[in-house]
Amino acid sequence: MDFFANLIAGLSVVLTPLNLSFCFLGVFVGTLIGVLPGIGPVGTMAILLPMTYGIPPTTAIILLAGIYYGAQYGGSTTSILVNIPGEAASVITTLDGYQMALQGRAGPALGIAAFGSFIAGTLSVIGLQAIAPPLVRVALSFGPPEYFSLMILGLVILTYLAQKSMVKALMMAGIGVLLGTIGLDSMTGQPRFAFSIPELLDGVGLVPLVMGLFGISEVFLNVEKMVQRHVSSTKISRLLPSFRDWMESKWAIARGSAIGFFLGILPGGGAILGSLVSYAVEKRVSKNPEKFGKGAIEGVAAPESANNSATGGAFIPLLTLGIPANVVMAILIGALMIHGITPGPMLLKEHPDLFWGVIASMYVGNFMLLILNLPLIGLWVQLLRVPYSILFPLILFFCLIGSYAINNSTVDVALMLLFGVVGYLMRKFEYEPAPLVLAFVLSPIMEQALRQSLILSTGSFMIFLNRPISIGCLIVAAGLLATSAVSFFRKRTIEKRVDVNG
Amino acid sequence: MGSLFWFAVGLISIYGSIKLGVGTLREPGSGFLSFLAGGSISLMAMVIFLQSFLRRGELLVKLSALWEGVRWRRPVAIGLILVAYILALERTGFLITSLTTLFVLFKIVEKLSWVKAILISVSISGVSFCLFNYLLKATLPRGIFGF
Repeated sequence: MDFFANLIAGLSVVLTPLNLSFCFLGVFVGTLIGVLPGIGPVGTMAILLPMTYGIPPTTAIILLAGIYYGAQYGGSTTSILVNIPGEAASVITTLDGYQMALQGRAGPALGIAAFGSFIAGTLSVIGLQAIAPPLVRVALSFGPPEYFSLMILGLVILTYLAQKSMVKALMMAGIGVLLGTIGLDSMTGQPRFAFSIPELLDGVGLVPLVMGLFGISEVFLNVEKMVQRHVSSTKISRLLPSFRDWMESKWAIARGSAIGFFLGILPGGGAILGSLVSYAVEKRVSKNPEKFGKGAIEGVAAPESANNSATGGAFIPLLTLGIPANVVMAILIGALMIHGITPGPMLLKEHPDLFWGVIASMYVGNFMLLILNLPLIGLWVQLLRVPYSILFPLILFFCLIGSYAINNSTVDVALMLLFGVVGYLMRKFEYEPAPLVLAFVLSPIMEQALRQSLILSTGSFMIFLNRPISIGCLIVAAGLLATSAVSFFRKRTIEKRVDVNG
Repeated sequence: MGSLFWFAVGLISIYGSIKLGVGTLREPGSGFLSFLAGGSISLMAMVIFLQSFLRRGELLVKLSALWEGVRWRRPVAIGLILVAYILALERTGFLITSLTTLFVLFKIVEKLSWVKAILISVSISGVSFCLFNYLLKATLPRGIFGF
């Protein structure tokens, strides 16, 4: 009964003209940037963050959340038609989606991607609505040691799932923690690493950091090489998948939804991992695995369902524990904090309108996206023809205004540029920026939890080992680190053997 | 190279944390977390350095491939334009700086036609000025010309 009562309460929040229009704006912008390669939801949300100062917090989060899940819909369009993923989470869709387009089946590929996304997105919101309230009750019993250990586990999982080197990811997390300590110490008021720059006393802003690492560095990477985009010239007809397409895709959508949702909850898991795992699972369970990579519709349905479902899952740690599962959620934390709202278990009690309003907005937003992505597909295809030479100066320009508008300070703009250059070099040398940003956001909460725990225990680290949830988290974290080390040495031994045997 | 840079960053933050005051376990000081972070950065940087030392052969091949076909002119030009934007913004005002920056990006870096470059620059800077100044009530710098 509560389920429907909460849903109705949420719908009463979202179905106001203001929230409805911002929900539409969010999913529209999300689809737009999902379609356009070169700018992702992270950069866009960072650009739009300063613009949300003047609107109510619930409306702001509805807008930003819409951009996030809207981008997952839009990302598939470029994967299918251009063979360039609009979003990292749609990389795997290129394998079968583009092949389908070459075979003249772009319509059904786009159609199943949109329907699969809609079904998975809706299922994940149902999952979120069902899981979040009981988890909030558990989270209310957490003290500083549990929070600290949970954040350590979160960072370790994030680095464990890093696509490149885990050691590099761990180091990036360290840099993020360090950057998070810049500014006034919240407990003593002492300035830290501010180098006599007054603007740094408030700490490094999340917006310049994210815009630099994700927006500016992406532009540098794209302009250093001339990338040609070839939009599939096939006429897109019959977007509705046939009965056979549905029969072939139904289990792929179901499995993709489940995999995406649960991997979305994990820190660093999110949409990318969900899409990759669901594709691998489909290939494994398929009776005709040889079809994959040659235009199998399941190869489009599964990852597209998974990446949408992951967005719902990612909201669980944010809304219940106040811990971001990925960089997008870190930006949402920033947005909540700007409005004076602390995310975490108290959110449901103190701001039920925001909690249920945001969840209900996802049902509405998913429905809007279905309409936006099927009848308006022609519009999105036209957008693909906008050359990058026009697009990137606009991205740069909006990053410049966005970073300036937060505090009316050129120091923020300079910081953004600095992080842009650092981010460019980091990506070149295979250092992932995501652990840095997440650790940066978690750093102040982590520091407070660590110091409070040590004060509580009069300086004994045993406080982290005496509590069941805390020790559980630390054991899992240690296990993951050990597994990673073992697999590194095993790999090295095999390489040596191969070298010796020639 | 990269690992040595990060190693230095770690050491500097350890030094800075000690100066701030690491405190004790009973009463951690302002530099406590940054001290731990600096230590782990240095440690990880050492591990990366050792890893790359062990695989220096393949690393050299990888490094040269990294910069292959890179057209330096564009990223460097964009970086310099952004620096100029930061330096000029509060002196010449939002409208003139933005208009000039966009025009330079479109005309000189991207070599669009005069008409296209002027049209896009004027419309984008004008629309964003109205959006931020009037709709979002943001205080954009007016500069010496007063707009």
